Amino acid sequence: MESIEGDAGNFQVTVRERPRYVDMDKCIACGICAERCPRKVKDEYNQGLAKRKAIYVQYAQAVPLKYVIDADHCIYFKKKGRCKACEKYCPSDAIDFTQKEKIHKIEVGSVILSTGFKSFDPRGYDVYGYGSLPNVITSMEFERILSASGPFQGHLQRPSDNEPPRKIAWLQCVGSRDLHTGCHEYCSGVCCMYAIKEAVIAREHAGGDLDTAIFFMDMRTHGKEFDRYYDRARDEAGVRFIRSRVHSIERAGPGSDDLQITYVDDGGELKEEIFNLVVLSTGLEISEEVRKLAQDLGIDLDLHGFAETSCFTPVVTSRPGVFVCGAFAGPKDIPQSVMEASAASSACAVLLADSRNSLTQEKTYPPEDPIIYEEPRIGVFVCHCGINIAGVVDVPAVRDYAETLPNVVYVADNLFSCSQDTQGLIRDAVKENRLNRVVVAACTPRTHEPLFQETIRDGGLNPYLFEFANIRDQDAWVHQKEPEKATEKAKDLVRMSVVKAALLEPIEPLLLGNRHKALVIGGGAAGMIAALDLADQGFKTFIVEQKEKLGGYAKYVRKTWKGEDGRAFLADLKERVRGHERIEVLLDTKISHVSGFVGNFTTTVTTGSAEQELEHGVIILAVGAKSLKPDEYLYGQSDLVMRWHELEKLFEKEPERLEQAEAVAFIQCVGSREPERPYCSKFCCTSSLQQAIDFKTRKPGLDVYVLYRDIRTYGQREELYRKARELGVIFIRYSLNEKPVVEETRINGKDKLKITVKDHILGIPLELQVDYLDLATAIIARGDEELAKMLKVPLNEDGFFLEAHMKLRPVDFATDGIFVCGMAHYPKPLEESIVQAKAAAARAASVLIKESVEVEPTVSVIDQEKCIGCGLCEACCPFGAIELIKVSGQGYRAENIQALCKGCGICAAACPQKAIDMKHFRDHQILAMIEAGGEGR
Amino acid sequence: MELVQYLLDLSGIGRDRVQLRWVSAAEGQLFAKYVTEVSNITQEMGPFDPEEFSLPLAAVEQTLNSPRIRWLLGLTKQLTEQVNVYNEKLKDEDFKRLLQQATEEEYHKALIMAALEEGPRSVRQMAEKTGLSVYTVSLRLNELERCNRAGLKEYSGSTPIFVEMA
Amino acid sequence: MDMNKSFEPKILAFLCNWCAYAGADLAGVSRLQYPSTIRSIRVMCSGRVDPVYIIDGLRSGFDSVFVSG
Repeated sequence: MESIEGDAGNFQVTVRERPRYVDMDKCIACGICAERCPRKVKDEYNQGLAKRKAIYVQYAQAVPLKYVIDADHCIYFKKKGRCKACEKYCPSDAIDFTQKEKIHKIEVGSVILSTGFKSFDPRGYDVYGYGSLPNVITSMEFERILSASGPFQGHLQRPSDNEPPRKIAWLQCVGSRDLHTGCHEYCSGVCCMYAIKEAVIAREHAGGDLDTAIFFMDMRTHGKEFDRYYDRARDEAGVRFIRSRVHSIERAGPGSDDLQITYVDDGGELKEEIFNLVVLSTGLEISEEVRKLAQDLGIDLDLHGFAETSCFTPVVTSRPGVFVCGAFAGPKDIPQSVMEASAASSACAVLLADSRNSLTQEKTYPPEDPIIYEEPRIGVFVCHCGINIAGVVDVPAVRDYAETLPNVVYVADNLFSCSQDTQGLIRDAVKENRLNRVVVAACTPRTHEPLFQETIRDGGLNPYLFEFANIRDQDAWVHQKEPEKATEKAKDLVRMSVVKAALLEPIEPLLLGNRHKALVIGGGAAGMIAALDLADQGFKTFIVEQKEKLGGYAKYVRKTWKGEDGRAFLADLKERVRGHERIEVLLDTKISHVSGFVGNFTTTVTTGSAEQELEHGVIILAVGAKSLKPDEYLYGQSDLVMRWHELEKLFEKEPERLEQAEAVAFIQCVGSREPERPYCSKFCCTSSLQQAIDFKTRKPGLDVYVLYRDIRTYGQREELYRKARELGVIFIRYSLNEKPVVEETRINGKDKLKITVKDHILGIPLELQVDYLDLATAIIARGDEELAKMLKVPLNEDGFFLEAHMKLRPVDFATDGIFVCGMAHYPKPLEESIVQAKAAAARAASVLIKESVEVEPTVSVIDQEKCIGCGLCEACCPFGAIELIKVSGQGYRAENIQALCKGCGICAAACPQKAIDMKHFRDHQILAMIEAGGEGR
Repeated sequence: MELVQYLLDLSGIGRDRVQLRWVSAAEGQLFAKYVTEVSNITQEMGPFDPEEFSLPLAAVEQTLNSPRIRWLLGLTKQLTEQVNVYNEKLKDEDFKRLLQQATEEEYHKALIMAALEEGPRSVRQMAEKTGLSVYTVSLRLNELERCNRAGLKEYSGSTPIFVEMA
Repeated sequence: MDMNKSFEPKILAFLCNWCAYAGADLAGVSRLQYPSTIRSIRVMCSGRVDPVYIIDGLRSGFDSVFVSG
C-alpha cells in the first residue's frame, strides 16, 4: 500500500502490485516449474531450515495456490536472459517474464489494517547464543520442525546432527519483559501457551521418552481453558516448569552439541542443567516496515510500535475511517485476533451502513434442466492433482474403469479439476453430453465439494446431483508406497460414488423468512455496544436486562488500565442507547421462553407480571458474570477485608482513610486457579495493580503488598507491573498449598490485620501488618443453566457459555443465529468485552442483512404415514429439530424443523418404524454404496 | 453398537467383525493408527465368507429390524434414566440383561423363520438347520405360531411339518 | 479365498463428516501411511449408521466394518 487519500467514507487508496512473473489465470500449480528450477534458496517459511526453489509457493495451503518467481534469486533476472527452465517446462504456458509492476487506485469507504507481527529476532543477543550454537533455535523454527510439512516431515530432530533430542528446554520471555536494548518491556501474551503446546506435542511426537522443561518467570495462561491445559501438561504430560531467571547458555563441553543452561532458581540458588536442544520463546514485535507504513498513512503508534487505540474504541485508529485488528493493535492470540477482525468489520459496517449493497452483484444461474429427472447420465472426472494423485494412482486406468460402469456416459481426466479452465470444461461437458449426474474423483469433499456443486449449477444441474470420490487425502496421499493397491481403492471408491450418483435426486434450497431484528440479552457494556452497532446499521434491537438499570459490571470500572475514565464512558454509552430510535430497552425483564430458529425467533419476556412476545432474527447473549464472595481471609467477618473495587471506592468516599493508613495488601487468585475453579479470572492482576499504583502515587509512604501466584499483566499491561515495582509496591509470591493466613489484630489502639505468608526466596514466614486487605476474587458465571437450556446452547464446566470453536469461532454457537459476548463467555477486561460485543454484532448483522435465511437442505424427512408419534426421534435429536405435533384423529406425528436440523441422521437410525430418511444420505443410497463397495471379491 | 456385537457373537460371526473407534478432526495420527489396528484384527480373523453365514446374517438382520428390538433400543434412555408409570427405574445392568434376553429370543425366531423360508420343515429339521436345540425351537415356534408368522402345514406320519405364513 | 498370509482384508468404513472423515483427511495432509484396506462411506454423523448397514456390509463381501465418529 502506497497511500490513502481522502476521508472516512471516501478514500482513494494507491496500491503497488509487484510482478509475480506467473500468469495467475494460467497457473495450475502443478509444481513442474519448481521441480525444474535449478536455483535453490533458503525457505523463509521453514525458517531457513529447508530449501525452496526460486519459483515457489510460499506454503502448501497458500491461497490462491499459484506459483511466484522470486526475482531476487531467479537466474533469469540475475544473468539477464539465461535459464528460463520454468518457461520451457510449464505445461500451461503460465510463465511471463515481461510482467511489470502495476499501480492500482482503489476507491473504498474504510480501511482495515491487519498487518500482523514479526517474531523477535534473538540474533546478536549473546546471552542465548542464538546463531552461534546450532541447537539453540527459536519457537518458530521449532513449530516448523514439529510440522508434518516441515523440514523433517514432522520427525523430532535437532539441527546440528539430525539426532532426536532427549531433553528439550524452552526459555520464556525472549525479547519480551526485558529492558535490554533491542528487547521489549511488554509481555507478548502468547508465548507461555505456545511453549506448553510445543512441549506437549513434542512429547507426543517422541513417544513419551522425552524430557521437557520450561524456564519461566510468571506462567501466563490466562485464556479460556488455558489453565486446565497448563495443569494437564504438568500433571499428566510431565512437562517440568522451572520458575527461574536464565543466566546463560553455553556449549556443554568442547566438541559437544549439547547445551548447558545456568540459571537462578526460585530460592535464589545458582543451578546448571544440560539439554540437547533449547527453544527460545521469542516474542511478538512490529516490523520497521509496518511502522513506516503507519507513519505514511498518518496512524499514531504507541511507544512500542503498536497502533494507538483506546480501551473504549479498541479497533479505531487515530485516523477516522481507518481501523485496526490483530497483533498490530497489540500482542494477542488467535481467538482475540479473530474477535478483533469481526469487530473491525462491524466498525466498517456502521460507518458504511448507508451504502450497503450498493456495489453488490448477484450471481445468476441457468434454470435447472428437466433432464435431471430422466435416466441417469453420469459424467466422471478423475483428477491428477498435478502429481499429488497421479504420482501414486494410475489416473488414466481409473478413468477407463469408470467408463465401464453402468450409467456412465462421459469420462475425463484433468490435471487440476479445480482450476478455472477445468471448471469450464466440466460445465461444457455437462451441457454437451446432457449429463444429469456428476462424479469427481479428487481431493476431498470437505474443501472442494461446494466448488464443484457451483460448477454443475452453472451447467444447469441441481447442486445435489453431485458426488465426490476422495482419492487424494484418503487414498493417494496415504498409500504412497502401494500404487497398485491405491489404484484398486480408487476404482472401488469411484464405483461406489457412481452407484450413489445414479440414485441422487435434486434437492431444492430451503429459503426461510428473516426478521431483521435483534435481541440482546443483558444490558451491560457488552450488550449495549452490540446493540448500538446493530442499531447503527439500521436494525431494530431489543435489550432485555433483568436488573432495573443498565450498566452491568462496567460501572465498577473507575479507570481503564490506560487511565481512561470508565464512568464517563458508561454514562455516554447509556445516553446513546436510551436516545437511539432503533433500540428498545426492557429493564427488570426476564426471558421466560424462546422458540424458533435463525431468522425466526420468538421470545417471551416477563416484566413484573406483564408478558410480551418479541419477534427477532438473532440473539446475542451478553449476560455477564459476577465476582465470588469468598469465605476465606476473613471476608464478611472483618470490615477491613474487601474485594475488587471496594477498597478503591472506600478511599474515594473517605480519602482520610487512605491518609491514615500505613499499609494495604492485595491477595490475588482468591477462588481462582483452585481445584474447584481451575481457571484464571484474567483481569484481576491488572485491576489490583491499577489500584496499587493509584494508592502508592497518592500516598508514597504507604506500604502496598501484592500477594500473588503469577502476575498476569499480559500484553502491554506489563507496563503496570514495571511501574508498580518502580513505585515500591512489594510483591510476595505464595503457593496454593501455602496460602497466606489473615488474622485480626490491634496495634496502638487501632484495628489492623496480620497477614502471615511464606516468602519464597527466604523460605521463612513473613508477617505483614496492614490496615486494609483487598481480595481479587474469582469471576464466576451467573448460573445460566436455564437460559442455556432454553436456547439449546452449551455451557462449559465452569458455567460459561461454550462457543462453537475456541479459536476460530469465538462468538458463534453451533446453533445458527445465536452469539455470545462479554463475560458470559469468560472473564475479561472491558476492552476485550467491547471487542467481542462488536464481533458478535458483526456476526449477527451477517444474518440480518440477508433477505431470507438459506439453510442446508440435506435434512431428515419424516414419512407421516409410517410415523406413529412415539417421540423417540424427538428425544434423541441433539439439536431440538424434531417436535411432535397433534394431528386430529391420529394423535401425534413427528415433524422436522428444517432450520434446526443439521442432517446428522440419528433420528433415522433410531426410528423403530423406519419412518425417517435423510435427504442426500438416503437409506437406499447408502445400501447401494455398501453393496457396490463389496463387489469385486 | 454393543447390541450388534452381541448379535455377531450369538450368531457365530464374531463381535470383532465390527470395530468402533472415536477420532476427532484433529487426530489424523489416531485415524491412521486405528485403520492399521482394524486391518490387523481383520487379518487375524481371516476372510469373511458371507455364503457360509447366509442364514445367521439373514437372522441378525431380521432381529435388528424387529420392532421389539428397535423399540427397546430406542427406549434405552427413558427406561434407564426415568421412571416408568409404576415408578420403577431399571438399573443399567438389568436393562442390559433384558435387552440381551430379548435379542436372543428374537434372533432365534429369526433363525427359525430363515429356515422356514427355504421350505416346510419339522421341528427336528429346523433344529438341525439352525443349530438350536429341539426344545428352543419348540418354544420359539410356539411364539411364532401365536403371532401368525408360522403355522402347521401337515403331518408327515406323526411328525408335524411347519410352514412360513404370509 | 485361502487363509494364507497374502489375504488382504477389505473393510467397510463409515466416517462421520465432522470427526473421523476430517481426521482421515488430516492423516492424508500429514502423509501418514496406513493399509489400503478401507472403503469409506461419508455420513453426516456416526449416529446415522443403522446397525443393519453393518450386516449388509458383511453380506456384500467386506471382511469387517469400521465405524468411526
